Amino acid sequence: MMKTLCFTVVVVSFLSFPVTGISQELDVAQIVKEIDNLYRSDSSYARLEMEIVTPHWERTLKMNAWTEGMEKTFIRITSPPKEEGVATLRIGNEMWNYLPKTNKVIKVPPSMMMSSWMGSDFNNDDLVREFTFLEDYDYEETTAENAQEDLIYIRFTPKPDLPIVWGKVVAAVRKKDSIPVWEKYYDEKDRLMRVLNFKEIKAFDGRTIPAVMELVPQNKEGHTTVIRYIELDFNPQISGDIFSLRNLRTQR
Amino acid sequence: MIIWKDIKLSWRNLFRNKRRSFIAGTAIGIGLASLIFVDATIIGMKNNMIRSATASFMGEGQIHAVGFRQTLEVDRTIHRRGWVIAQLDQEDIVRHYAPRVTNFAMINSAAEVSSINLVGVEPESEKYLSQIDDSLEKGTFFQGDSSRDIIIGKKLAETLDVELDDRVVVTAAQAGTGELAQEMFRISGIFRMNIREMDSGIAFIRLNKAQELFGLGDKIHEIALQFPSPEYGSREELAFWNKFSQYGNEAVGWTKIMPQMKAALDLTDFSTYFIAVILFGVVALGIVNTLFMSLHERMFEFGVLRAVGTRPVGLFRLIVFEAGSLAVLSIFIGLFLGFALTYFTSRVGIDYSGVEFAGVTFRELLYPVLRVQQFIEYPIWVFVFTMIAGIYPAVYAAKMNPAKAMRKSL
Amino acid sequence: MIVKIAFRNTLRQKRRTVLTALTMVGGFVLAAVSIGWSDGTYSFIIDMFTRNRLGHIQVHRKGYLDKPSLYRTIDRYQEVGRQIGDIEGVESWAPRLFAAGLASVKDKSSAVQVLGIDPEKEQKATRFDRKITRGKSLSQKPNHEAVLGKGLAQVLDAGLSQEIVIVSQAADGSIANDLYTITGIATSGDDTSDRTALYLHLDEAQELFALPGQVHEIAVVVKDLDRVDPITEQIRETLNDPELEVAPWQEFAKDFYKAMKLDQEGMWIMIFVIILIVAVSVLNTVLMSVLERTREYGVQKAVGTRPKNIFWQVILEINVIAGASILAGVLLSLLANHLLSINEITLPFSFSYGGMEFKKMYAEINLRTIIIPATTVILSALIVSVFPAFRAARIEPAKAMRIH
Repeated sequence: MMKTLCFTVVVVSFLSFPVTGISQELDVAQIVKEIDNLYRSDSSYARLEMEIVTPHWERTLKMNAWTEGMEKTFIRITSPPKEEGVATLRIGNEMWNYLPKTNKVIKVPPSMMMSSWMGSDFNNDDLVREFTFLEDYDYEETTAENAQEDLIYIRFTPKPDLPIVWGKVVAAVRKKDSIPVWEKYYDEKDRLMRVLNFKEIKAFDGRTIPAVMELVPQNKEGHTTVIRYIELDFNPQISGDIFSLRNLRTQR
Repeated sequence: MIIWKDIKLSWRNLFRNKRRSFIAGTAIGIGLASLIFVDATIIGMKNNMIRSATASFMGEGQIHAVGFRQTLEVDRTIHRRGWVIAQLDQEDIVRHYAPRVTNFAMINSAAEVSSINLVGVEPESEKYLSQIDDSLEKGTFFQGDSSRDIIIGKKLAETLDVELDDRVVVTAAQAGTGELAQEMFRISGIFRMNIREMDSGIAFIRLNKAQELFGLGDKIHEIALQFPSPEYGSREELAFWNKFSQYGNEAVGWTKIMPQMKAALDLTDFSTYFIAVILFGVVALGIVNTLFMSLHERMFEFGVLRAVGTRPVGLFRLIVFEAGSLAVLSIFIGLFLGFALTYFTSRVGIDYSGVEFAGVTFRELLYPVLRVQQFIEYPIWVFVFTMIAGIYPAVYAAKMNPAKAMRKSL
Repeated sequence: MIVKIAFRNTLRQKRRTVLTALTMVGGFVLAAVSIGWSDGTYSFIIDMFTRNRLGHIQVHRKGYLDKPSLYRTIDRYQEVGRQIGDIEGVESWAPRLFAAGLASVKDKSSAVQVLGIDPEKEQKATRFDRKITRGKSLSQKPNHEAVLGKGLAQVLDAGLSQEIVIVSQAADGSIANDLYTITGIATSGDDTSDRTALYLHLDEAQELFALPGQVHEIAVVVKDLDRVDPITEQIRETLNDPELEVAPWQEFAKDFYKAMKLDQEGMWIMIFVIILIVAVSVLNTVLMSVLERTREYGVQKAVGTRPKNIFWQVILEINVIAGASILAGVLLSLLANHLLSINEITLPFSFSYGGMEFKKMYAEINLRTIIIPATTVILSALIVSVFPAFRAARIEPAKAMRIH
């Protein structure tokens, strides 16, 4: 539970950076900027599904998520029935969970916030630092096996001394609209560690972006996590009260 | 009244039958030597047991802020750190001390994530106090000056699927704010201590880097201590503990930190004591026996002495003195043997072959410990016993009818 | 004929015989008691330690000990437990479930290790109620109660009758959460585990974590510590399931086992020394008694006794004494050890470890307490009688008779 909730927080916190315009030129720097800002906005509302597959179980969670800036996130789970009503509020480094079954709000201690990542398919840096390819990596165009004509391949190397575990990341991006097709994460010994696939490009509130992100760890058998956006509003009018402890308890 | 002449006589009598005296003396001497040896061995064994628990990392004593040991809260730092350190520098009984900070953290590699205790250490101090540097399988113990060095246990390295020089990211919640901080480190050493908690759950970085990461400024959580010998840590009456338990700190010896170890040692002590008593009994028995036999066979001779006019009390005294002389001879032999054996093994150590102690990289050799007391107390006991053992035959001889004595052919 | 002479000789020289025998008997008894004592206390310590929490034998799903996981469970634990319970020599068994989670009391929360236990079985096997320091243990029937480890209660600032929430991930991936009332605080003797230990009724833990009918561990307590190994084997055969692994305490409490072995080896050094001294004493006594009879042997040879016969005579004499001494020694030492084993020696102090009070120690009667001392006495008697016997046989009568 913790893992899936925090995971959600992470994914949804991608949605919090100012957006920039879409450019047509094949300027690598520009493309990098655009994939960084794919899901970002000052605030957002999303309805999404998360499907988690492990060797022991499979589940699909449905949830509604609100974000404001980089700091605030509110998520309410709507399905399956057993978890319906469970909510998470994150403000900065603090996180609370609401559990309708026991009608309790629990503050997640900082240690558990990190420990929820145990076994999760996402890493710490996904939660704490929103690293951007543009600022935190050196990038250059590269080639790949079975290269496709309509895709540009970019290799990213993290700048020295940054708390990033990857040795390198390679992204395949569509030349025509700067939409990523996949991202491959390697360790320093060039072993492929995880693959992030982007699928089902749709229009959401004026933006055309992949509706599905599929994360496949390469070093763990039988694990995948798929996020599917059903609805996505960028910069809607959100009341500030949403990001409050009181809101955790109301059934919305 | 002790007459010098009688003593000289008894001494000479002893050497009349050299073989018998030496056999008897050696037998008793071996008893004494064994008492010394066993005493030294037990001390060595206890020291080893204590050291095995404390020398790996814990230290023989520790100073913390009150409550830290129970809760491990990162905000509970040692009060008046400057004063404490200055005082420690002046303490005679503190041989070494090592300051540390410690906090719960997550460590990430590209492959895996794991929760750990992240400990910041001062390499120069830590070297003396713990055995991490001795248990390094790969890499070095913070040589050079990179602040991004991190040392982890072998099991953790396997879980994270990393080797020397690989990068890892450590995330921790800071003191005060609870803000999450992250830093990148490179594996600079991999150790193996054969203690599960250490090998899979602890990572070491430099003290100042840890303080920076945890937002602690120059505060520390723990000072580990080493004394001249492990038993200081068990002496709860030392003024030392009180002195450093002021200002909201607590200073405790290993007996308080690991009461189970203390319990186990107490149990061992008692068991040992019981067996030591038995050992003593065996030696005493040996003394009594030896003396009986060697004196008894001389009954004819004693009968002659009586016959030629020696007074009963004179005979009594003679025999008792002879017992005393034998005691002295035995003590010489025993001390020599005891010293030789114990000294030799204290240098070389006793090898517990076949016992790979899943504890620590502690020498598997037992080093018996020589103590002056052994060379004073035990000889005295032997002397006393030998004298006592001599009394019965002495009385018997003194009271005996000379004719009968001479007729006791052997 | 020789035997008769040997026998009569021993009876003739009463004093010498008595002294020699005394050394042998005394040495025997002392050696036997020290071995009995040492063995007894070790069995005692091991028993106390393992009975306290871990049990003598543990059954897990294969691979669990090496890499614990929520999913590595024993199915149909009742059935497995029943089979184990039916085995001769098994005293009791207790099922346990382990899982990690987050617990919260009022506004404090902390990571916890949930231990699902069957209160009745746990009570019988490890006397769980002795660990409770405040409040009381879990009710036999599930009642939404929780018992906290001492350190955990401290960290959460929690007291009796307060509500505690547990949140975690169940085995089916869903969010596990529920409310319990704190009924007791416990110490297990292990401070580290007490900082995270949270005991729930097994049925409720199974429900919370979606593991119906499953447990992670079955701890087994046997009646007689010496039979741990054969019973382990028997459990393996009875269960006959390649998916389950059965481990004796030497395996799952490896560190403790090695520490005990180390301790015991230290003790054996002492016992070895005792044995050595016994041997030396016997040696000494026998040697002297043989040497002093040189003249006597000289006379015997002078009247025509064959060297060979003298040789055997000496040997026999000594060994007759040795034999009798051993018999006496066996009787006496059995008595002594027996007394020590039923009348525990009360320690001058007492200490507690994991809720167990250590106050008494026992000695043990086993084969070793007889065999080792017996062997020692016989061997030393034999060895030491050979040389003088030899010499006695080769004595020149004239020379011998001149000695005195």
